[in-house]
Amino acid sequence: MSVIAPNFKFSEFVKSILDNLFWILLIFTLVGIPAVQIVLFYIEMPVIDGKLLTPFLALTWLADPSRTLPILKAFMNTDLFRIAAFPGFGFAALIAAGTIFVERKMLAKLQLRVGPFYCGKVEGILQLMGDGLKLISKEIIIPAKADKPIFWAAPVIFVATAAAFVALIPVAPGWVVADVDVGLLAVFAIIGFFPIITILSAWSSNSKFPFIGGIRALHQMVSFEIPLILSLLGVVILTGTLNLSEIVESQTNFPWIIFLPIGAIIFFITILAELERIPFDLPEAESEIVAGWLTEFSGMIYGLVQLGTYLKLYAFAALFVVLFLGGWTGPMIWPPFPEEIITDGIVMGPITAKIPGLPVFSQEMLNGVVWFVIKTVGVIFFILLPRGVFPRIRIDMLLSLGWYKLIGLAFVNIFIALGLLYAGVLGPGGIL
Amino acid sequence: MVGELAGNYSTIVLMFGFAVVAMAPALVISRMISPRKRSNPVKFLPMECGQVPSGEGRTHFMMQYYAYILMFVVFDVMAIFLYAWGSSLLDLPKSATLPIIGFLGIMFAAMAFALHQSGRRDIW
Repeated sequence: MSVIAPNFKFSEFVKSILDNLFWILLIFTLVGIPAVQIVLFYIEMPVIDGKLLTPFLALTWLADPSRTLPILKAFMNTDLFRIAAFPGFGFAALIAAGTIFVERKMLAKLQLRVGPFYCGKVEGILQLMGDGLKLISKEIIIPAKADKPIFWAAPVIFVATAAAFVALIPVAPGWVVADVDVGLLAVFAIIGFFPIITILSAWSSNSKFPFIGGIRALHQMVSFEIPLILSLLGVVILTGTLNLSEIVESQTNFPWIIFLPIGAIIFFITILAELERIPFDLPEAESEIVAGWLTEFSGMIYGLVQLGTYLKLYAFAALFVVLFLGGWTGPMIWPPFPEEIITDGIVMGPITAKIPGLPVFSQEMLNGVVWFVIKTVGVIFFILLPRGVFPRIRIDMLLSLGWYKLIGLAFVNIFIALGLLYAGVLGPGGIL
Repeated sequence: MVGELAGNYSTIVLMFGFAVVAMAPALVISRMISPRKRSNPVKFLPMECGQVPSGEGRTHFMMQYYAYILMFVVFDVMAIFLYAWGSSLLDLPKSATLPIIGFLGIMFAAMAFALHQSGRRDIW
């Protein structure tokens, strides 16, 4: 008799699964389907080939392979697709998942270890899925006398705030969730929420280590927010706009890192501090204060905080790319869509399939995405690298670095930008 | 139009809401499938490296670097104020830069004084 699960009965396991299935089906039938009907009543359906797309037509056309693509294209232009899948949550979560795996593997190689190896046949490629299953099946322990609503809500709000940050990042021309006029100010507004969430979750847990970690996180994020804001002013002075898409378009000839290298370096250092990565990982210093403000998080709460952290990492790396490395601009390396497929259709022996609606994505968009991903992955690599190289610094060194050196250098950067503008090198009527 | 301006931002709020709607089920599912045993009250004590915790978790804690938080309140506003100038600089006459330089001079003096006071650990 095994002692691992003495009370386990297979019949009860099957019964619990069937019970859950029954309730899910019942609730879906009684609530889900009527809700879908009500929502469909209010949603504005697209017009395709001159016909208003009703749910009946949509289901009929989706079954016909030659008419599926226009419906899919109409769906891809909706806000829902952008938020859930491509420039929004799905894309960012995919890059975040890749980042976690690459970080663990790369850190292991830097320290002459093997890293994740057994999960999945090839180099532990399924480790992340295994970790997710482990976290979701672990018990969530909430310390006694904790402030339960805030403690439960903090990780969800952390992920959601990181997602709101991702919403502002333009990935390809026209492919951005929220194209607002003052995108950069919106970025600062969203960054300002992270210390609040951190200190709230730390305070709510009623424990000493999270409390100290939360206060450290507050000091660190708050101190590095001013150099972060000031280091980006040079870009705004030279472009004269706060819209992130327009900032990218202003860099078609040369990225701003050529003219504002000091600003780029300051911004990179403040990214490391805002993300609590290694030279500045005081809020989670595992050798001093257990795990800092993450100490009391267990199970899926910890998993959500990790997801939010890596979404934030992707968003900051993408912001660096957008502001200093030219975003999606780059030479055209994506091959053009073959013309004969549009004009003649796909010929396979005796069958000729003429598919309307091709190409799904334009060449510029795919090329932009390729360049954006290449640059973002490069920046993420440089954000991950210090973890294997540097030790942690003291908090007074951190504060003096932020308040004395980085702010001073940020003003040097601003004056360089002003000098370039007033010397007639850049800007309207400039040499370049 | 004010409504259109606000409408640009609605997608940010939608993204926030989507993340909440997509992530909250993870917690609910975790709560449903994970074991929940309330056998031992020690299990729910705050983590203090194996010791039984003593004292309050939320205490009056002097961080000694409180002055930097106060400075943030002032200089963050200054940094954002510079954006109002920087984003419209291309449309302004060049003479409009001089008042900003004067403003920066005042703020530098204030910041130097504040940093000097923050560095005096004995008064905090």
